Amino acid sequence: MDIIIDFANKIFKPLIDLGAPPMMFIILAFLAMLMRVKPSKAIEGGLKLAIALTGMGAIIGILTGSFAPALQDFVKSTGIHLSITDVGWAPLATITWGSPFTLYFLLLLVILNIVLLIFKKTNTLDVDIFNVWHLAIVGLIVLYYSNNNLLLATLLVLLIGVMKFINADLMKPTFNDMLKMPSTNPTTTTHMNFMLNPLIMVFDKIIDKFFPFIDKYDFDATTLNKKIGFWGSKFAIGVYLGAFVGLLGQQSVKEIFTLAFTGGMCLELFSVIGTWFIGAVEPLSKGITDFMSKRLKGRTFNIGIDWPFVAARAEMWAVANILAPIMLIIALVLPGNKILPLGGIIAIGLTPALLIVTRGRVLRMVIIGTFMLPVFLWSGTIIAPFVTKTAKSVGAFPKGISDSVLITHSTLEGPVEKFLAVTIGKLGSEFRIQNLFFVIVFLAVYILLFAWYVKQMKRRNEGYKNTVKNKSSEKQIV
Amino acid sequence: MIKILTACGAGINSSHQIKTAIEEEMRNRGYDVAVDAVVIKDITEEMLKEYDIFAPIAKPDFGFEIYIPIVEAGPILYRIPSMSEPVFDEMEQIIKSINK
Repeated sequence: MDIIIDFANKIFKPLIDLGAPPMMFIILAFLAMLMRVKPSKAIEGGLKLAIALTGMGAIIGILTGSFAPALQDFVKSTGIHLSITDVGWAPLATITWGSPFTLYFLLLLVILNIVLLIFKKTNTLDVDIFNVWHLAIVGLIVLYYSNNNLLLATLLVLLIGVMKFINADLMKPTFNDMLKMPSTNPTTTTHMNFMLNPLIMVFDKIIDKFFPFIDKYDFDATTLNKKIGFWGSKFAIGVYLGAFVGLLGQQSVKEIFTLAFTGGMCLELFSVIGTWFIGAVEPLSKGITDFMSKRLKGRTFNIGIDWPFVAARAEMWAVANILAPIMLIIALVLPGNKILPLGGIIAIGLTPALLIVTRGRVLRMVIIGTFMLPVFLWSGTIIAPFVTKTAKSVGAFPKGISDSVLITHSTLEGPVEKFLAVTIGKLGSEFRIQNLFFVIVFLAVYILLFAWYVKQMKRRNEGYKNTVKNKSSEKQIV
Repeated sequence: MIKILTACGAGINSSHQIKTAIEEEMRNRGYDVAVDAVVIKDITEEMLKEYDIFAPIAKPDFGFEIYIPIVEAGPILYRIPSMSEPVFDEMEQIIKSINK
């Protein structure tokens, strides 16, 4: 491993010294060309990543520049220690893609996918290259806490990678059922979102056993969504959370308006810059997909794409809307939380998994979601120093901002995996029996819970199979 | 000019892949199209009236009727040309029938 790192350092050192945006421009363009993408397209992609990194830095600067002092006053006047700025997912995705290690993890997962397909351990071809960042950030956290122990990071990424492919296969019948897809439709997803399914399922089973009557009180999600209208949109949330910070931080009226409008503007702009960044990864995604599908010709498989094909279900939005104010209240009182929810307050890192496990029962989604939110807030809090430092190292954090300013994402997918990464990373930096014990126990619980979930899902999928059979026999009788 | 609306979870990833693919393919086929990509939950009845075609990943339930033609654009996301072809063909048929 050391030799690889040394070798990588020799090649990358002059590149790294250029700073992240130019370095990633060169690497990404080069890699895309290697995947036989046309040079002009490859360069376009590289440039878009560079301007996205620069752009995210600029907006993070504006947001923290106005929010950080107000949050300090907020802490002083309320005594509530919420000092971390929640920038949402787009800046974190950009920052993660700004690290060359992400490309290493990408390569690893592409190879893993091909191997699993060849040995028929999965039936999913993952073409959602962009979302590799969710697993890459887990690897980066291990690296950060373990003084760059690449072996540990690699092992954890591979372990979760395998589980994600298994999960994509397991969820397929539920997707067919909930989105009325014919069985010929190959859509599934390996998204990190759904690695929370096992934990959600524990709560779902508890409700099954002790509180099944709550399903009687379920309500229609579309009606609620229609009523909420624009109040749930990004800029509106930015505006009233800005005003909220300003009011509780006892700022002047003028300053409250400035905070409100700055919040709204930044949340909109993070999305705009996010789209540049999608364009940046696109040529690489196309190249890798072409490469994989050519090598797997003649096989039919499911295709893993990004999760929003489930966004067609109204329940996930109704629940996201209901959970937003609940999350704000939890954030104010939860011990150990330091995040004031802003960019991540519409919890799309949580509600798709709730939807799939409960199969769209809104009340269950809200109740279980409420129990999940603290996990996200704690996880977002502990990774904040890592996120901030990584943002700085990839040039997506403005200079001249106080060292005490931290950024994070409040509802980042895979909160449990973040704790796992920190625990394993700490073992890598300091090999003590106590740390080893934590890692073993954590891993054992994590894997056993997943195994239990696999069993439950297989049982569910048997049920689906039987209903299909019954339906077809009914037809025969008729 | 044919106006098309697409959408996904954050209005950033999937919907932009669809937007780019439709714009490129339809222009290659000689049609003048403009695609907007938004967050699916922000779509209202009024907003849909501004467009000629709605191209979501999968057909959503908004709780109101959708009066414009719908083309399910999900297969574009597979990035496999033979699978996205039918989506583009269906869209071309509709554009021809709109006859703007």
